[in-house]
Amino acid sequence: MRHLNEGALRRMYDEPLAMAAADQAHYDSCSACKTTFERVANDARATTTLLALPAFETQPRQAFARLSVRVRDDEAHRPVRRHERWLTGAPAWRRILAPVGVVLVAGALLAGFTATGIVPSLIKVFEPTSVTPISVSPSGLPAANTVLDYGAVTWTPAPPSAEQVADASTAKARSGLPVLLPATLPKGVSGPVSFGIISHATGSLVFDGARLKASAASKGVKVAPMPAAIDHSTIYVNAGPALIEIWGSGADAGTTGAAPTLVIAQTRVPTVESTGASTKQLEDYLLSQPGVPPDLAAQIRAIKDPSTTLPIPIPAGFATTKSITINGVQGLLVDAGLASGVVWEKDGVIYAVGGQLTPDQVIALASSLH
Amino acid sequence: MLHAEAWRPAITTPLTAAGQRQPDPFERLFLEEYSKVVAIAYRVLADRGAAEDVAQDVFLQFHRSQSPNAEHASGWLHAAAVHSALNVIRGERRRVKRDTAHAVAESAVRLENPEHLVVAAEQRREVRQALSRLPEKAAAILVLRYSGLSYAEVATALRLKVGNVGTMLRRAEEALRKEVTHATFE
Repeated sequence: MRHLNEGALRRMYDEPLAMAAADQAHYDSCSACKTTFERVANDARATTTLLALPAFETQPRQAFARLSVRVRDDEAHRPVRRHERWLTGAPAWRRILAPVGVVLVAGALLAGFTATGIVPSLIKVFEPTSVTPISVSPSGLPAANTVLDYGAVTWTPAPPSAEQVADASTAKARSGLPVLLPATLPKGVSGPVSFGIISHATGSLVFDGARLKASAASKGVKVAPMPAAIDHSTIYVNAGPALIEIWGSGADAGTTGAAPTLVIAQTRVPTVESTGASTKQLEDYLLSQPGVPPDLAAQIRAIKDPSTTLPIPIPAGFATTKSITINGVQGLLVDAGLASGVVWEKDGVIYAVGGQLTPDQVIALASSLH
Repeated sequence: MLHAEAWRPAITTPLTAAGQRQPDPFERLFLEEYSKVVAIAYRVLADRGAAEDVAQDVFLQFHRSQSPNAEHASGWLHAAAVHSALNVIRGERRRVKRDTAHAVAESAVRLENPEHLVVAAEQRREVRQALSRLPEKAAAILVLRYSGLSYAEVATALRLKVGNVGTMLRRAEEALRKEVTHATFE
């Protein structure tokens, strides 16, 4: 057998138990290796002396308290990360989503009340079982300050809030949703993964014609009187919880503005219920309001069954969409050139997978979730 | 409305429904690794205060960019500690005199012979200068191993095969000895 090299003998000096049995047997019977070991050991002892320093006790708890102050200060001054802006909604997106949001929010808050029998006369006006794209143009949308006040909005127990959680098990426990992960990560996507949840919330909007009239007058906007079927009726939106997994959103994303490389999101389908007005009455009324672009209204009106179809806003010219079959159901593939995504609804849960991936990659990844 | 602040990793400890304090992963990692991170930086800097400052910077950077539950969390901290500390001694030559004076004062409590004090402080200064002149990986492997990390931990931190650590450590020790000898006879 060949003699042990100096690296193996060096480790033997520090970690004798890590030595392989065959090496140990050779060493025990080899005087040349023992001579080399002595030289290696002497050098190690000399280096120990060179690098020796006086010892002292650390104070980890006091150090953590000191760090906590710096972390809080750091967080207060850190620029908002891309995915945070995405969640919060940039002003342009808020404007895009405002008209759609009124439709959804105004319609969607009531399922919980139905279940408990508190409001027995509810009409379910929106419970999506499929998705469809609608094209929206940021330039054609009104400024945010023209969004009118349609009535009092109340959230139970609180408005939805987003929160990062430590790990998959916490995310599962807090959201009640299974944490789906891809079988393998595509090239270009690497860990660590961040987990976020958005809380479940039920919101209500009590339509108030007088309040809308006053709001419109203060902003110089003309509105038609609110129909009697809608005035003083209430709609309830039941939304969340949602679970979001994000790859590639570390500190670099915060400082460089880099987008996440992969996002997997899932949420219980939002539902909208009404105490009086029907889906059609609400849709006709809300889509005719000032601030809703005519082409957007036309697209929503064209949806065959608005009570069961979730519109996915796609910025005009930004991406193309295609209907596909994914995991046995109809889904929507969004191709935005450098990024793509797929959205589908199955068994009361809406799933979305997207990132800086090709359409083929995103479909393969979405199909491999388990 | 969703609030961006809610997405920011919180250092505060969450409470369970029953009000029980849950162990925060980042805090737990900090308490487990802080002494080791300080030891690594101290091995390079030979200055307790400077080593603790480096440890604070390393954990702050970790908090900004890494998950405390990641498998590589400890290795990341160890590597960041040694590289940050080496950057300090390479970038701040003027600190040397001040640190030497500090080390002398600290050692005075333990050593009675003033001549020994001066010799020990001078030797530390020379060793640190020698470390700063070594190739980055050689200096890092020396510092990590002599800070008490196992071969497996050194391999993880520096992304080496554990079977190569002994050989690289051996070479680094020889390189350090040559650098110190060279400095002594300069």
